[in-house]
Amino acid sequence: MFEPVFLAQQALNGLSFGALLFLLASGLTLVFGLMRIINLAHGAFYMLGGYVGVVIAGLTGNLLLAVVTGAIVVAGTAFIVEFVLLRFVRGQELPEVLVTVGVSFVIADLCLAIFGGDPRTLPASASIPGSLVIGDLVYPWYRIFVIAVAIAIGIALAVVQNRTRIGAIVRAGVDDREIISAMGVNIRWVFTGMFIVGAALAAIGGTIGSGVISIRPGIQDEVLLYALVVVIIGGLGSVSGAAVGSVLIGLIDAFAKAWIPDFAYFTIFAPMALVLVLRPTGLFGRTA
Amino acid sequence: MTRSRIVGLALLGALLVVALALPYLGTTSYVISLVSTILIAAILASSVNFLVGDGGMASLGHGAIAAAAAYGAGWASKMGMDPGMQVVIAMGVTLVVSLVYGLLSMRTSGIYFLMVTLAVGMVVFGLAYRLSAVTGGENGITGIQRPAFIGEYWTYYYFLVAAFVLTTLLLWTVSRSPFGSSLRGIRDSETRMRSLGYSVAGYKLGAFMISGTVAGFAGLLSVWHTHFVSPSSAGVHRSVLLIVMVILGGVGTVLGPLVGAAVVVLVENVLSNEIERWPTILGLIFILVILFARAGIVGSIAKLAAKLTRRSTSRSPGGGSPPGTPVSDRNHTAS
Amino acid sequence: MKSTTMSTRGRWAAVAALGAAAALALSACAPPGSAEPSATQEPGATGTLKVGYISPITGNFAIAGQEMVDGWNLYWEVNGNEVNGVTVETIVEDDAGNPEMSLTKAKKLVESDGVDVIVGPLLANTALAVAAYTSSVGIPNLHPVAAADDLTQRQANDLTVRTGSMSGSQMNYPGGVWAAEEGHKTAVTLCPDYAFGWESCAGFVQGFESEGGEVVAQYWFPNGTSDFSTYVSQIQSAGADIAFVATAGGAPGPDFLRSFLGLGLGESQPLLMNCCSMDQATLRALGAEIEGFNSVSYWAEGRESDAVEEFSAAYAAKFDGKIPSANVAGGYQTAALVAKVLEEHGLLTGAELVDAITSYTFEDSIFGRVSFDDYNNTVGPVHIREVQERDGAFYNVPIRTFEDVDQWLGKDPADVLAQEPYSQSFQG
Repeated sequence: MFEPVFLAQQALNGLSFGALLFLLASGLTLVFGLMRIINLAHGAFYMLGGYVGVVIAGLTGNLLLAVVTGAIVVAGTAFIVEFVLLRFVRGQELPEVLVTVGVSFVIADLCLAIFGGDPRTLPASASIPGSLVIGDLVYPWYRIFVIAVAIAIGIALAVVQNRTRIGAIVRAGVDDREIISAMGVNIRWVFTGMFIVGAALAAIGGTIGSGVISIRPGIQDEVLLYALVVVIIGGLGSVSGAAVGSVLIGLIDAFAKAWIPDFAYFTIFAPMALVLVLRPTGLFGRTA
Repeated sequence: MTRSRIVGLALLGALLVVALALPYLGTTSYVISLVSTILIAAILASSVNFLVGDGGMASLGHGAIAAAAAYGAGWASKMGMDPGMQVVIAMGVTLVVSLVYGLLSMRTSGIYFLMVTLAVGMVVFGLAYRLSAVTGGENGITGIQRPAFIGEYWTYYYFLVAAFVLTTLLLWTVSRSPFGSSLRGIRDSETRMRSLGYSVAGYKLGAFMISGTVAGFAGLLSVWHTHFVSPSSAGVHRSVLLIVMVILGGVGTVLGPLVGAAVVVLVENVLSNEIERWPTILGLIFILVILFARAGIVGSIAKLAAKLTRRSTSRSPGGGSPPGTPVSDRNHTAS
Repeated sequence: MKSTTMSTRGRWAAVAALGAAAALALSACAPPGSAEPSATQEPGATGTLKVGYISPITGNFAIAGQEMVDGWNLYWEVNGNEVNGVTVETIVEDDAGNPEMSLTKAKKLVESDGVDVIVGPLLANTALAVAAYTSSVGIPNLHPVAAADDLTQRQANDLTVRTGSMSGSQMNYPGGVWAAEEGHKTAVTLCPDYAFGWESCAGFVQGFESEGGEVVAQYWFPNGTSDFSTYVSQIQSAGADIAFVATAGGAPGPDFLRSFLGLGLGESQPLLMNCCSMDQATLRALGAEIEGFNSVSYWAEGRESDAVEEFSAAYAAKFDGKIPSANVAGGYQTAALVAKVLEEHGLLTGAELVDAITSYTFEDSIFGRVSFDDYNNTVGPVHIREVQERDGAFYNVPIRTFEDVDQWLGKDPADVLAQEPYSQSFQG
């Protein structure tokens, strides 16, 4: 159980799963942490993006096109959800819960009606074939690609958040809405934009992730749970926290399933419970 | 006693009369069974409603508390114990589980509280699967029998009506008590209450224990109704639906949980017979209620009734009380 | 305000007391709705056989649930729903894979709609709950797809029949036998960590060990696992001659195979999978990538037989060239059994219907020769299959068939029932 090939493989397994979690959780932590919107439809956005992406990938064989189309469709849906529904309940937690749960039910059921119940994975034509071979270690290129995508998106988010004007506006707006409005920035549109970006990230996660985890009915609840765990551990609103949290959960999950399989089920929720009891704001979160 | 109060009580009385007469109105045993399901869900939703409304704590773990109690009763049944022991073990398990929940969550609030209850709930769910020697794992436990004196479907139905009335009364009484007032104070501002010397954590724990006890009771009633228990009762989906029922009906209202439970149970079990896309309809109902009846169905009806009452009791044609009338004489409503 | 509160409380108490008193008074006499369901029919009668069909049409198992319904409906559409003067009328209800809903639907079908027989539901916990209810009200319960061992063992009852599938341990035992006969000395298993998985692996393990094989390691994955890479790595490091992998159908099949192929084990690790992980859903998703892969199941859509061809042609005609999966086959087989029995006896209900079904030997069913044992479980063929391409589509074609496989795995029924239920620690 401790041979180098096995360890390397499990480490890569954990990192690639963690990369997928990051794609999911980064969108959620932005929406959740910065705007305090409880979006329980985040999993449904992942699902919708995944289905659309898989269908487009099947038709065109082009992964980039699939990702972009999925992101656009979900961004459009998110815009409608935010503009028509969420702005009426901004700041009220329980109505937000009910609205987003309702949206999740609707999207999930309509996906079943439109795309059917078969599990869908990224077709080989759009995926990256072959594996990296180093001695005895064989590892699929596609999963390494997922890690690369997650790193790229993480860097992009960090750059936008810390180096651009829009990032500064968002950060400031979260701390103090009135100041930003007083500065002449339309805070409403900034928040709408952030919500759409968060949803688009989930969609990208869905399409890219379909090469690792199939998209099927029920995936929206599964991924939402994982995303919530990562966001809690990492700290609400912190992209770096989401990154650390995803890697942590991914690695814990992979190794725990190998070394302490009896507790495999609990490896996701035990760390979250620990963090909540010992340091509720998460590893990188700010104290409220 | 104002008119709105009288109207409210009369409505409740009428509801009770209808509930009692239901089995004799030419309904099948299936309909009674369905209403029984609604009543059990309403009791469970009431426990959540109390915690959310008065305590300001939204919990995603109450499904798991009810399931733990159900498993307690199920295990007792499997071991050949009589229904009396089922009650003892179920309530014992409930107290332990509620205590664990309470201790882990009493220092958290808001979204963190939600997540802690979710985490503990998932642990219960996982244990239900793993401890298969005790819980029967995925297959669950079947053949659980309830006491003979409520063995018939209609005697059990009356038992449930009584149970619902009593638990609602209990929660209402707690809410109206000094404990309830302090709890609402904590809900509104923890820091203020703490500075006044209240043990915030202690109150929250107490509230959780009360809420958890009602939830466990609902779990026992549920397993007596269906004669089986399986891990899906402890899953997060069930707990999410509980919160949904509470918000749908109206947080903090007395009959909100009943209305919310009725909507969800009826859509799941009756509408699904006719329409294949019933989950979409259910989701749309949630959305529409928030758009048009933010305070929930019962809450919005109450608000509407209050508005109409105020309009009909307004004095001068100019509307509103004449200036100079002491404030206490305007809009005299009993609290 | 205090006096108002007191009188309000008083009113509440009065209302409650009134309610309790009324309840006590009323409880003296039973309401008219508490009649028993209708008695059994005279044999040879004509009339209508009302069937209540419970299946998860929405929710996480929608595809399996829908296919189960499609198979049943297809039989009646192709052959007409009138047999020997008896009209078969079906009411389909969705249970979304939720046992509380399954039970409520069962009650509705029996008490409100007055059905004569309940078919389904699909998932183990829903199936056991409904079987317990239907036997308590004297209604037969037929199971087209459910694979829980206990349905026809520890929780068997006279009115429940597993008509369209086999139990988990039963259908995988021949797989173990075959693996040993192929010369593999060591095996590693991967199964879901709950009853279905324990039973499936136990079947394979007992079959393999009965022919002298040795199981070196057993891995269990939690329900809801999406990423199998960590388990594939463990299988690789175990280095056994053959790996047996079972899933409950749906996404885990393709998910596992993706990781398996991606980590390069496709060429180097012999693999045997179970019915549900190598079903048509997986073949549709992965096709050419898994050509030549082996699995063990009671259903083989690539089997050369008139019954299978007729069934497949009808299904393809109705569903755009799709090839039937085990769920469709289970529904169709159940319908065919009911039709055969009605043809011989006319309208039957209750225990007589069950007796007629279980004493019938179905020579040329879509599964092959099928009969029933004393616990109302299917006894029939189990095939070792290989994925082969035919006209651009992929089929599971039998390469070896074990006839008349029963659920006792070569032991005495009394001994099997006396042993503890299968678990991680007890694999027979």
